[in-house]
Amino acid sequence: MRAGVAPRPLVRGPALTRAVVVLGGAGALLLVALVAGIGLGSVTVAPDDVLRVLAHRLLGIGASSGVSPSTETIIVDLRLPRVLGAMVVGAGLACAGTVFQAILRNPMADPYIIGTAAGASLGATVGIVLPLLVPALAIGAGSSVLGLGAVQLLAFAGGVATVALVIGVARSGGRLPSVTLLLTGYAVSSLLAAGVALLMFASGRALAAIFSWLMGSLAAVGWLDLAIAGPIVLAVFVVLFARWRSLNLLLLGDGPAANLGLDVGREKLRLTMLATLSTSAAVAISGTIGFVGLVVPHLLRLAAGPDHRLLLPASAVLGAALLVLADLGARLAGGIPVGVVTALVGAPFFLFLLRRSRRVVSTMPA
Amino acid sequence: MTPRRPSILLTGLLLLLSACAPAPATSPLASTSAEPSASIGASPSSAPTAAAAYPLTLTDDAGREVTLDVAPARIVSLAPSNTEIVCALASCDLLVGITDFDDFPAEVIEIDKVVTMAQVDVEAVVAAEPDLVLAAGNELTPTSVIDQLAELGLPVLTLYPESLDEVYADVQLIGAAIDRTDEATGLVDEMRGRVEAVAEAVDGLDRPRTFYEVSVFEGTIYTAGEGSFLASLIETAGGEPIVGDTLSTSIEIEDLVAADPELILLGDASYDPTITAETVAARPGWDAMTAVRDGNVVVVTDDLVITRPGPRIVDGLEALARAIHPDAVSG
Repeated sequence: MRAGVAPRPLVRGPALTRAVVVLGGAGALLLVALVAGIGLGSVTVAPDDVLRVLAHRLLGIGASSGVSPSTETIIVDLRLPRVLGAMVVGAGLACAGTVFQAILRNPMADPYIIGTAAGASLGATVGIVLPLLVPALAIGAGSSVLGLGAVQLLAFAGGVATVALVIGVARSGGRLPSVTLLLTGYAVSSLLAAGVALLMFASGRALAAIFSWLMGSLAAVGWLDLAIAGPIVLAVFVVLFARWRSLNLLLLGDGPAANLGLDVGREKLRLTMLATLSTSAAVAISGTIGFVGLVVPHLLRLAAGPDHRLLLPASAVLGAALLVLADLGARLAGGIPVGVVTALVGAPFFLFLLRRSRRVVSTMPA
Repeated sequence: MTPRRPSILLTGLLLLLSACAPAPATSPLASTSAEPSASIGASPSSAPTAAAAYPLTLTDDAGREVTLDVAPARIVSLAPSNTEIVCALASCDLLVGITDFDDFPAEVIEIDKVVTMAQVDVEAVVAAEPDLVLAAGNELTPTSVIDQLAELGLPVLTLYPESLDEVYADVQLIGAAIDRTDEATGLVDEMRGRVEAVAEAVDGLDRPRTFYEVSVFEGTIYTAGEGSFLASLIETAGGEPIVGDTLSTSIEIEDLVAADPELILLGDASYDPTITAETVAARPGWDAMTAVRDGNVVVVTDDLVITRPGPRIVDGLEALARAIHPDAVSG
């Protein structure tokens, strides 16, 4: 390999091996997660039955003999959208977490850090409580825009609008200083959290619904949710992947990145909006699921290094796989919130890695 | 409490939710409350007289139209009140899925649970292959679950009675749905008769300002909400209910002291034996109330039937009337 001649080779030598191992490993895990996620649950379905039903219903191949119609409904209409929903949400959150950690150069950054979660939570809570306060709205609750529920739409809008507000406040003279962005996000989040708390207090029976939304759940994901959120997350991923150079440069800090020719303010704005779109789309269909967006990028920096060419796709695949598995765990544990599982399993595992790896402090460039 | 850290608040609210839920282990299904209702069910021998006209289109309490092609043979009930209505219509054997809170009548214990810890297992509902699903309104069955089941093509009737009249209507609705119209009419007539007997017994008597304690959690006092079913039951039972906020159903201690109850009914004592007239009197500020000073703090062990809008709601009403007017209403 003539490394000295080719300008900026994609990956070479040991790096290529590492990329293959990391992506292959994450991909294999995702495959296992998909098979287990569709096969296991209240009703266990053998893998060959799963394949037969999927081939018949989705591709029109063969006959779906041997499986009862209710099992078919469970696989095709309940589990498949749920598992794919977990993939979309996991991938979207992990990518957004990777991006926020890079542009804020802060290891504590997660997809929710500058207000997405607070805004989406307020939107969803309003969507849940409003029909109770204004009974006229409850009658129209079944019908909704594009068939998507008011909760999903308001959550998405809340997340995007909050970040737009935060950016508007934090921006000064074309610059978007990370510290200002973080603090503005914190303050706006606090304000919106007060609104959520107030609505929760007044919500009566709907408290359980709000609570379950805040803890995150993939139980209600349907094909329509996927058809909207999936393309958003995928499109954002493609655009983000194309901007891997900017992400790598931003790791150096705003000053050095600008010296190397990056329009730092504009690029950070662009990346923030992209990551927010992805996060809001994910949160709209699943509620606020924690930990995936924080931990997955860190895990992969330990395993694969800080280059976003590998980090972004690997985050997407690993985030997808882990959330499918976490949701499976949540279902098998009797329908507990998936956010509980991600934290319960994710946190000890992360601590274990922290203890083992002495490089850990350098997972984020200082 | 910092707003940025809602976890403490959330934990508290979760505890509250679990505190509000009836605890099956200590549920007060005393024989006194179970006996009269055992006779409520229509006689099992009474077969449907005339075959109802299926396909049948019904409108449920959520305003949804549901069409049943044939008389349901496999019913899933997502709330204990629905289960009790189905069983009171001599159709217990049609149930193929219920909740883990279900405890009456005793024979339902054997039926598969499709709702555990207040979570509807949609996969289990589908796997039960029901031809009728009976959900509960007001988010007791989450709206998202009802939507999901309806989208899967399952006929879902949502029941949300907010008064005795609406309980009668729901009994009739289920009766119509499962082709047990005559049994439903008989059951409603019997319930009406007992309710009228209570109303007559307390007619013209003093109506004590009555505070029904649903629960007290971390200083927040929960009672009958303004305009709620529970408040209307207390009225029918001959009391003047002291009500809390419509939605949160809570009341501030200052407002409670100002309302000055003459009678305090401890519904939460049904589940927590540490809640007694003595412990209530020891709470700061409570001794300012007439009820506490005069010793009119009464433990109620029938909270389950008072708060479950099925056929046994009449048992609950009678229990309330006995507690409010012990001399006028006999057991």
